[in-house]
Amino acid sequence: MTSPTASQAGEAIIRRSGSDGVAASPSRPATQEVNWNLRYDIHLGATWSRFMDGLRQRKLLANSCASCSRVFVPPQAYCESCFEPTAEWLELPAEGTLEVYTVAWHGFTGGPTPPYAIGGIRLDGASTLLMHHVVGVDFDSESDPKDALPFGTRVRAVWAEERVGHVLDISHFEPAS
Amino acid sequence: MPYRAVVSGVGLTEATSPRKQTLSSIELCQLAVRRALEHSGDAPDRIDAIVTGNIDGFEGTVLGAKHLTRLLGIGSTAPVVVVNTGGTTGGNLMQVAARMVRSGTHRVVLCLGGPTFFGATDLQSAINTNSPMIIEQPLGMGAYHMGAFAACAYQDRFGLTPEDLAAVVVADHAKAARNPYAHLRNTISADEVLSARPLSAPLTQAMVCPVSTSAVAMVVADADTVRSERASGSVGRATRPALIKAMGMSADPYLGGGKGDFARMENLENLARRVYARADIRNPAEDFDTVELFAPYAHMQPMQLEALGFASPGGGVELIRSGATDPEGRLPVNMSGGPKCTNAGVAGELAPYAYAALQVMGDAPAEIQVAGADRTLAHGTGGTFFQFENLAVFESLTRSN
Repeated sequence: MTSPTASQAGEAIIRRSGSDGVAASPSRPATQEVNWNLRYDIHLGATWSRFMDGLRQRKLLANSCASCSRVFVPPQAYCESCFEPTAEWLELPAEGTLEVYTVAWHGFTGGPTPPYAIGGIRLDGASTLLMHHVVGVDFDSESDPKDALPFGTRVRAVWAEERVGHVLDISHFEPAS
Repeated sequence: MPYRAVVSGVGLTEATSPRKQTLSSIELCQLAVRRALEHSGDAPDRIDAIVTGNIDGFEGTVLGAKHLTRLLGIGSTAPVVVVNTGGTTGGNLMQVAARMVRSGTHRVVLCLGGPTFFGATDLQSAINTNSPMIIEQPLGMGAYHMGAFAACAYQDRFGLTPEDLAAVVVADHAKAARNPYAHLRNTISADEVLSARPLSAPLTQAMVCPVSTSAVAMVVADADTVRSERASGSVGRATRPALIKAMGMSADPYLGGGKGDFARMENLENLARRVYARADIRNPAEDFDTVELFAPYAHMQPMQLEALGFASPGGGVELIRSGATDPEGRLPVNMSGGPKCTNAGVAGELAPYAYAALQVMGDAPAEIQVAGADRTLAHGTGGTFFQFENLAVFESLTRSN
């Protein structure tokens, strides 16, 4: 072997950068583009399929744990506190309390166009929060968004015109008053 | 427990941004492993097994462990365990290695965390796949949006101001500036933090971790083997090993909506109670010499300090502002600068364990070593809405005996 191994070369580069914190790389790192473009069909299973079918019919379906009485929306097959299979199904009103939200000033590739607000809504009768878009926020980065829409505001679901069995069959939540 | 596990060697590489990194992912891993073996004084053939981790889809490669052992110079027969927990994988590596040693099936296990945030040109798109698909991801919920929920709720309950968040960032950068292995080593002013680009209220870009490249390796070994070999001078250097006194992990529900209260870290509170009991920690503020927390977003460090019993609810920021968590304070926190200044994926999650062990060994870089540290705490967290928490307590063998 006449040439140094890659790792020995790497050691030399790191050592040469010294303790002054200035990178002394001899050249621009060489990179080559690799592209993964994969699509998936995720099987929702019995529990979430029933929930999505409910949304299509403008119904918010939840289920509950027979052992601790917690009510889950979205529904789940198991209670994550008791580790018991969930039992009873029920329909919740499309109204609740906005407990917390964040304003997304910066989104990501493939996501909604910012700014948008995402909140955690406690539907009346639910033990969990349902995350969804909320409207009624004043999108002015200079002021506190909570001035226009405080935590604790009563909100209700606004249904999308076209519903296909997707979480966005609820268009968003809006202040109920 | 039949065997006790110690950390007998640690290897870190200097962190950089991906743009400036001249080494490949595997070269960084090789460098970290060589440094860990140099530190522990072990020859490569002493390694009985390797524990490493990867994150689905982050690297543009499914490297896993397929050829890692050969490329690391460890040989072709050491068994490899690949951990992939879907969040804080790196925070689980040392715990898996320590369980292998404690169970007596392996004596010397190498733990390796590679730079898994390395390569994606749009890393946020990759990281956002971590947000629960079907239910929460379609809402435009990405990594720092999930983080911001806790920041908003905590702010609302305790009156946290943007200036408070900036103070946390300023303190982290001042510490990272001292750490030769940190990525962001610039000091920063509160004004710069506040005027940075807003990401998801109340977080600005400067309140969120960078994307770093580095690797971290640790040697976890049976305590009695290390001690007797070192006493006889047959193997290893005179390095003081760090006993893994207690450790544990805990999980919250998968969906963010399953969190009971975003303004409190209840999952971490529960885990701390469990791990402290195992290590006989009665008064955390007095019992630890230094702490390394996985706090990539500014609001997380004060909330974690509260959950871990170092401050009362809402009192975390005041503890940081008082100087108590500074290098000369009574409880130096994140002497490394933490993940706010260096976050290289799995390597970034393993880093708190590496630094907390180095403190007990007395071998942290001189600039960040806490003099006389002989009991430290390491913390990791990750997953959707920080679903997973993990902790470990390190002690010197002298103290433990």
